[in-house]
Amino acid sequence: MKIRGKLLLGCFLVMALAAFANAQDVTIAIGSEPTTLDPQLREDGGERAVNDNIYETLMARTPKGQLIPGLAASEPRLIDPQTWEIKLRSGIKFHNGEPFNADAVVFSVKRIINPKFNSEQISFFNTIQDAQKVDNLTVRLKTDGPDPILLSRLYWMKIVPPKHSMDSKFAEKPVGTGPYRFVQWDRGESITLVRNSNYWGTKPLVSRVKYRFIEEPGTRLAGLMAGEFDIITNLLPEFTQQVPKAIHILGLEHPIIILNADGGPTKDVRVRQALNYAVDKDALAEGLFEGFAQVAQGQLLSPSFFGYNPKVKAYPYNPDKAKQLLKAAGAVGATVELIGTAGRWLKDRELVEAVAAYWDAVGVKTKVRIFEFNEYLNRLFDRKTRGDAIFVVSSNELLDADKSFSAYYKAGGIGSSNTDKQLATLIDNARSETDFAKRKSIYHQAVKRAFDQAYFTWLLNIEDIYGVSARVDWSGRVDAKILVSEMKVKK
Amino acid sequence: MGRYILRRLLHGIIVIFGVTIIVFVVTRMVGDPVKVMLPLEATLEQRAAFEKQLGLDRPIMVQFVEFMGDVARLDFGDSLWQHRPAMEIVFEKLPLTLVLTAVGIGLAFVLSIPLGIIAALRPGGVSDRSTVFVSLIGLSVPQFWLGLLFIVVFAVQLHWLPTSGTATIAHIILPGLTMALPVLARLVMIVRSSMIDELNQQYVQTGYAKGIPFLRVVGLHALRNASLPVATLVGWETIRAIAGYSVVVETVFAWPGLGLTAIQAIEREDLILLQAIVFSVAVLVVMINILMDIAYTLIDPRLRLA
Repeated sequence: MKIRGKLLLGCFLVMALAAFANAQDVTIAIGSEPTTLDPQLREDGGERAVNDNIYETLMARTPKGQLIPGLAASEPRLIDPQTWEIKLRSGIKFHNGEPFNADAVVFSVKRIINPKFNSEQISFFNTIQDAQKVDNLTVRLKTDGPDPILLSRLYWMKIVPPKHSMDSKFAEKPVGTGPYRFVQWDRGESITLVRNSNYWGTKPLVSRVKYRFIEEPGTRLAGLMAGEFDIITNLLPEFTQQVPKAIHILGLEHPIIILNADGGPTKDVRVRQALNYAVDKDALAEGLFEGFAQVAQGQLLSPSFFGYNPKVKAYPYNPDKAKQLLKAAGAVGATVELIGTAGRWLKDRELVEAVAAYWDAVGVKTKVRIFEFNEYLNRLFDRKTRGDAIFVVSSNELLDADKSFSAYYKAGGIGSSNTDKQLATLIDNARSETDFAKRKSIYHQAVKRAFDQAYFTWLLNIEDIYGVSARVDWSGRVDAKILVSEMKVKK
Repeated sequence: MGRYILRRLLHGIIVIFGVTIIVFVVTRMVGDPVKVMLPLEATLEQRAAFEKQLGLDRPIMVQFVEFMGDVARLDFGDSLWQHRPAMEIVFEKLPLTLVLTAVGIGLAFVLSIPLGIIAALRPGGVSDRSTVFVSLIGLSVPQFWLGLLFIVVFAVQLHWLPTSGTATIAHIILPGLTMALPVLARLVMIVRSSMIDELNQQYVQTGYAKGIPFLRVVGLHALRNASLPVATLVGWETIRAIAGYSVVVETVFAWPGLGLTAIQAIEREDLILLQAIVFSVAVLVVMINILMDIAYTLIDPRLRLA
């Protein structure tokens, strides 16, 4: 007994020491390794997860998604319809000592929009034509037309140090202005950052962060359970009961079904409305996502997005009404082809099959066609013959209606199935309206119009789920960024 | 012997070329990296520009001729996903897969010989039956499940070993065991059955009658004659480990080797990287086959005539 007691005490001491030694360390398991640590080059989720902590942007967002000045001293001002003036914060230095100033901003903007640089992020910035230095802390940006989305775009553009970014090792040794600075990258294994002791903003609490790259969700879960990780991304809904803490927050992803408004049985607006009334969205959220999804309110936007119309609510689940509408449209027994894919998005196949069952129950014949992703994309992008109903999951990183609406709502968009000129005009107008209030009201009209015309069967807004260890406090963000400066390790 | 190996090498080169051509055709038939790599909402203009940038807008024959030139120079170009030379990635990942394979196959081989012999000494006895029983379990258990089971037991519950990664020696134990067990099961069965065959041969009885010690009869004479099928299986399992098991085991244990990279390249439709991986694995398979042929002649000199 005595020996056992000593052993226990010894173990306890070792554990206490270990806990003390990495009291403010956090390990985060993400799904994929960054392909580069150059923050302006690729469109790469792994790269973003790490660099969001090293680099900063002129505009930032609160955890709830509201745009606030970041490296900008105040909100940029529009001095003519195509020119924005940005005042910069003073006294900020990059991790290597280079000053943050107008030269750094001008350099960063010109670097990313340079066609020769060939950035994969260019679609976020293709309206920006030029950047000019006014004085050491003032910059003007020129756009090719009025660009109301510029502030959102600036929230995506990371500012790089002019000198160090010319270094050939820049993509492996990132240097930013952010709360964490780069220490080490063991390819295939991990990336380590430490707290920037000279950070200009609120001092972060976590002193050291390590990123691990674990593709397999079950392995991420095991690592969290074994105490190796503090935060794991994309926790599967069915695992949420097993982890110390599962935090969930309404994310950027919307599964939706595009209905063909120009042909087939779905040409009749009553049929399209019926296909909305027929689906029990609450049951889908509960049954397939264990409650970690919310019913989309009749629009391809999350509440945090610019343009969200709070007055529009989801079509309620009403199979009787759906049956009546189908009868009135003479579409009882009509065949509707529903196109989907499997294994690309969380629960993609399950959603398609559940919706098909709901549709069948009100009297249409749903022909489910699940394609391999490439073939599925052929159908989604086919502009000549549109499928009756195409399932897709849309994601929108800029938190602004423009991207989703241009792609799926607007006639001729890459995934749209309507030729509604009025809707297209609204979307075009919103794109160049620089008065925020007016622009918002245009989107509200567009949301309402698409809702009344039932151009889609709106389904859900999926929540991002993270597994979190008991020792870390963190509550997640609507923009899905994992900012270590917002974390706290419990004593 | 030299001419024989030369002939085998020639066969190998034909096989490698065949495989690379098939990969070229198949990836271009079923896949379109442009569609998969760009965000869904990318416009048609952006797609066209990207296709041009990748050089995938050119006629397939032009691409093929260039591709064959690349193969000859062992330069497949930059990975579409990682934007660095595909062969650089292969050379970075391959050693990890080879280490894992060596540990897995080595462990299986070393353990299978004594276990198989013990089982063969008394066919139908307790040790034989329990060996066969455990081997059958090892054969039937899916490897990814076995890996997860190990993680749950030894990492999550007992905290003895880490769940994933490559940081220390301890990190290789679980993936190594997961790699080894199904191989061990198959090897034990084959050692057992060939030993049973050999031990019933007359020369064994003669050996005993002459007074040669038991260990020498079993361990030297019988084992040497029984080792041909064992060697065949070891070679075959090594190939399967590099080209198959590694995909599962590396995924489960986040072991950043060639198998995990292959899966990632397929998911991202990275044709270039995939070609480089398949080519390298094909070369390895051919090399292992030639090594096996040489090993045969060492085990059984009569085969040298062939």
